[in-house]
Amino acid sequence: MTPVLEVEGLKKNYGQLQALKGISFKVDQGEIFGLIGPNGAGKTTTLRIIATLLTPSAGRVTFLGFDLKKNPEKFREKISYLPEEAGAYRNMRGQDYLEFMAKFYAGNQEEIKEYVSRGQQISDLGVRLKDKVGTYSKGMTRKLLLGRALMTKPALAILDEPTSGLDVINSLEVRETIKSFVKQGISVLLSSHNMLEVEFLSDRVALIDRGQILDAGTPQELKEKYQAPNLEIVFKSSVRSSL
Amino acid sequence: MKNFGHLLVKEIKELVNKQLIISLAMMILIFSFIGNVTKKEMKKAIAKQKIAVLDLDQSELSRNLIGTLNMANFIIEEQSGEKEQVIKKLQTAELGLLVVIPAGFSQEVSNFKPAEVETYSYLRGISLSGTRNSEVVRAVLNTTNDFLSNQYLKKRLPDIDPAEIKTPIKNREFILVKDRMAEGSSAAVIGTLYAQSYILPIILMMIIMYSSQMVITAIAMEKQNKTLETLLTMPISRQAIALAKMLAAGLVGLLSAAIYLYGFQMAFSFPTEGLSSVTGGVAPILKQLGLTIDTQGYALFGLSLFLAILCALSIATILGVLAEDYRTAQSLNIPLVFLILVPYFISLFADINTMSLPAKILVLAIPFSHPFFAMQNMMFGHMQMFWLGLVYNFVFVTVMLIWTARIFATDRVLTMKLKWGKKKVVL
Repeated sequence: MTPVLEVEGLKKNYGQLQALKGISFKVDQGEIFGLIGPNGAGKTTTLRIIATLLTPSAGRVTFLGFDLKKNPEKFREKISYLPEEAGAYRNMRGQDYLEFMAKFYAGNQEEIKEYVSRGQQISDLGVRLKDKVGTYSKGMTRKLLLGRALMTKPALAILDEPTSGLDVINSLEVRETIKSFVKQGISVLLSSHNMLEVEFLSDRVALIDRGQILDAGTPQELKEKYQAPNLEIVFKSSVRSSL
Repeated sequence: MKNFGHLLVKEIKELVNKQLIISLAMMILIFSFIGNVTKKEMKKAIAKQKIAVLDLDQSELSRNLIGTLNMANFIIEEQSGEKEQVIKKLQTAELGLLVVIPAGFSQEVSNFKPAEVETYSYLRGISLSGTRNSEVVRAVLNTTNDFLSNQYLKKRLPDIDPAEIKTPIKNREFILVKDRMAEGSSAAVIGTLYAQSYILPIILMMIIMYSSQMVITAIAMEKQNKTLETLLTMPISRQAIALAKMLAAGLVGLLSAAIYLYGFQMAFSFPTEGLSSVTGGVAPILKQLGLTIDTQGYALFGLSLFLAILCALSIATILGVLAEDYRTAQSLNIPLVFLILVPYFISLFADINTMSLPAKILVLAIPFSHPFFAMQNMMFGHMQMFWLGLVYNFVFVTVMLIWTARIFATDRVLTMKLKWGKKKVVL
């Protein structure tokens, strides 16, 4: 498998605080790679660096052969980022929001229509897309944003807590949507502190704590290695052995 | 470029929202209402005044006096009957003023004794039109006194023009500006210049204030609504994002200021029939003194204003990055507003050239000061000060734009916050 994304020795300091202490991993094409860890482990910082929002203090990130520091604009053309606490423009109608975002990526009207149509399908908001975003519930906004993130079929979708704020039924639907999109060749890098969700979605996972990757592999490999029934127990055991 | 235009349209749409349209429409309505009321009152105040006259003397002199009042722009409504009855009538009629010429008036005048006329004014309120009675009384008395003194002088010195006795010293007033000189009234010249330019500082203040508030709000709202992170990962350069926000704020600020000004003009532009004749007389003097601005001058003023707007927008953009939400943005805008108000008030009430050096340096260090004084500097030949202001603002804008671009190109756009604790700014 060709890696779409390669992260080597990634470090990030906020003044005296070392948020990332040298993280390395690869994401292959058509793969869902999950980062799991508790709050403050460094998941969001890692995703934000790859999404070009933050600059790394050290280390190297390459995406489709492009270096993050030298060509951040190439990253932005081919990736799509869904932040954990994202919002949409409250004065826009849902449909207009999708169109506004589609125009950044589309080369012509046909592409805009195609992207918007896909976004409508993924968000599954029906007639509510004609309402202003300001009237949406948190779950509806999240679904709209997921539609926005996936509608352009990005080479890499970076999803930070993709089901955050969604109820059980909507969470299941979103997970199914992500899985089906990967079959179309999209790679996904996601983070969650819901380890059962990551286990269900991810082809491979990395366990991250206090800015370091403790272990990585397929969920099955990790469960066998730590002789654990699920990833929550795997994570607990890996933290204990790292101390 | 395509994405920049696309983002610019979105920014303008976000700023021109329902709240802005309603507030601007309300402001136009309020100003229009104030304007209508004020203009009606002003028209009443400056219109030909009606006065009632009760002539109890019925002499040739009293008829001449009434004729003089008539010629002095008063509409005379002659009354007859008992004085007390006419005074009572004053209360119910629309007349505000009654002039009573007592019996024996001409006799007193003929004997060169001080003659008396009585004036009765009926107060109906404390509005501008209500207070005009005292002005009318004064005008009536001046006219009457002038008339009577002329009568005395003509009788005593029939060969001399009374005007020559009353004003034996004539003043020829000359005004000097730079190396030019012209004959005319300095008060009229200053009055005309002020009347022509009083609106300018208001325009400047409005444009700069509106634009800066718009850009701070635009960035703060992106943060508050959690849309900034997504926007920063779009395939468009960070500089283009900052520029789109600044340009949209500048354009909407300009539009708001224009609408505000239109409303302001509607409310406070008073009848200028009298003024135009004065201005017409002063215009050649202004030209002779070089106190006029040509096309090149207006272009230079436009450049000065443009640079000041860019200064405001770049400062406001950085303040917007520091703001965490709409409320913080409003607080951060306050110091900027004060910085704009300083040159505004100085341009209205003081002369920058006569201020002490430290005060002058402090005022001129504010980049918005320069367009406020640009016109004055150009007209009065302080071109060195004008050019220095232009260069200062250019350097200021360049530094601020580079700083803004750097902030937007790095983590600071997300991490920079104003903290009131130990550290001021966390980067």
